[in-house]
Amino acid sequence: MAFALGFPIIALLTILQSALFSHMQLYQGYADLVLLAVIAWGLQPRVEADWHWAVIAGLVMGFTSGLPFFAPVLGYLLIVSLTRGLRMIVWQSPMLSMFVAVFVGTLLMHAIDWVALRLVGNPMPFLPALQLITLPTLFLNLLLAVIFWGIFQDLANWLYPTELMV
Amino acid sequence: MRTSTQRTLQTVVLAFIVLGLVALALGGYLRPLTRLLINPFVFAQSWLSSRVQAIENLARASQDLAVLRQRNLELEAQVSQLQAEIIQLKQQLAETEILSALVDFARAHPDHRYVAASVIGRDPSPFMKYVIINRGSDDGIRRGMPVVTQQGLVGRVTAVTAVAARVQLIIDPASSVDIRIEPSRAQAVLLGSLTGELSLDMIPQSASVNVGDLVLTSGLGGNYPKDILVGQVITVRRRETELFQRAAVQPVVDFSRLEIVLIIINFRPLDISPLIPTPGAP
Repeated sequence: MAFALGFPIIALLTILQSALFSHMQLYQGYADLVLLAVIAWGLQPRVEADWHWAVIAGLVMGFTSGLPFFAPVLGYLLIVSLTRGLRMIVWQSPMLSMFVAVFVGTLLMHAIDWVALRLVGNPMPFLPALQLITLPTLFLNLLLAVIFWGIFQDLANWLYPTELMV
Repeated sequence: MRTSTQRTLQTVVLAFIVLGLVALALGGYLRPLTRLLINPFVFAQSWLSSRVQAIENLARASQDLAVLRQRNLELEAQVSQLQAEIIQLKQQLAETEILSALVDFARAHPDHRYVAASVIGRDPSPFMKYVIINRGSDDGIRRGMPVVTQQGLVGRVTAVTAVAARVQLIIDPASSVDIRIEPSRAQAVLLGSLTGELSLDMIPQSASVNVGDLVLTSGLGGNYPKDILVGQVITVRRRETELFQRAAVQPVVDFSRLEIVLIIINFRPLDISPLIPTPGAP
């Protein structure tokens, strides 16, 4: 069920990001809804379909974006590894782990994109990319982190209800 | 007998009394008495009448209020509908204006064949200056086809599916376009950037380039047809120590408000990469 829901949710978020949020720019950056969804989903306890969501997100973004195809797939898989690690380390404070994951995840994702573009022969200047794209995107992602955490917590509770001992 | 006499007498007395009262009334002598007797009656009737009228008004007002509320709801619904229609019509008008301008552009450049497409999204990655359009291979769109608007050059198609295509804008950092500067006819290369600004590189030092000069595609390289307007030179940087001049260009297309574009479908880009000598080749 969680796997089946992954595709429409990621597709919907990609459409929103492409058609709506890409117009809400801060300098040259804009919020990465798919990244936030993958992180928020991956940090939910009891969720096991996080790898699937990362692969779906990578494929959808790789297909939609002009970035080299391998970059989003690799990026989202690394981010799920990060969220799994955080789930074990910072399990008592999920919101803190969400902020940490968004912070590290955004930087990691952009670093992968930057390296991938350099590899395919489209190098970007590092400092302007950091100042104009990465830092504004990071700020917007952190702003939306709480909202995404709430939404995906509800979704996880609905899909994986807590077992009560009677 | 006695009884009938008494009755007659009573009648006569009563008649006299009545006549007397009528005479007194006609003479105005009974007015204070009448006033004294009528006032409480009038007061009572007025009080009762006003209460009845108030109750009547209340009943009628509640009926009117319901009617007014109903009417208000109807009018509000009508206003909402009309507002929606106005928005729709304004949108249609804007689209019609754009399409009309595009038709004018197509008429002015009859050597090309065009397919119009709507911009339906932007690249989800902020690193890439791409847009997604709602026409694909089913409409004859192929990779490499140039994309324009009535103002000028937009970019070129870099990926195609059956029903959609991705267009690399000329402001993309990885974009480079061979251009010609008018009126000097100097050749140069137009480059995109992260900030969405356009710059000219490789302008020969000998070329006379001034602010306000027009920038058009040169057709060299085989990626774009020639003579499509790109923009205008806004600053020129010339240093004696450098091999080439540089310039900044103001694009004629507003890339933040792209809505409808034209794809030139009878232009096929040329792949000249085999003709470019590579180091180590014989």
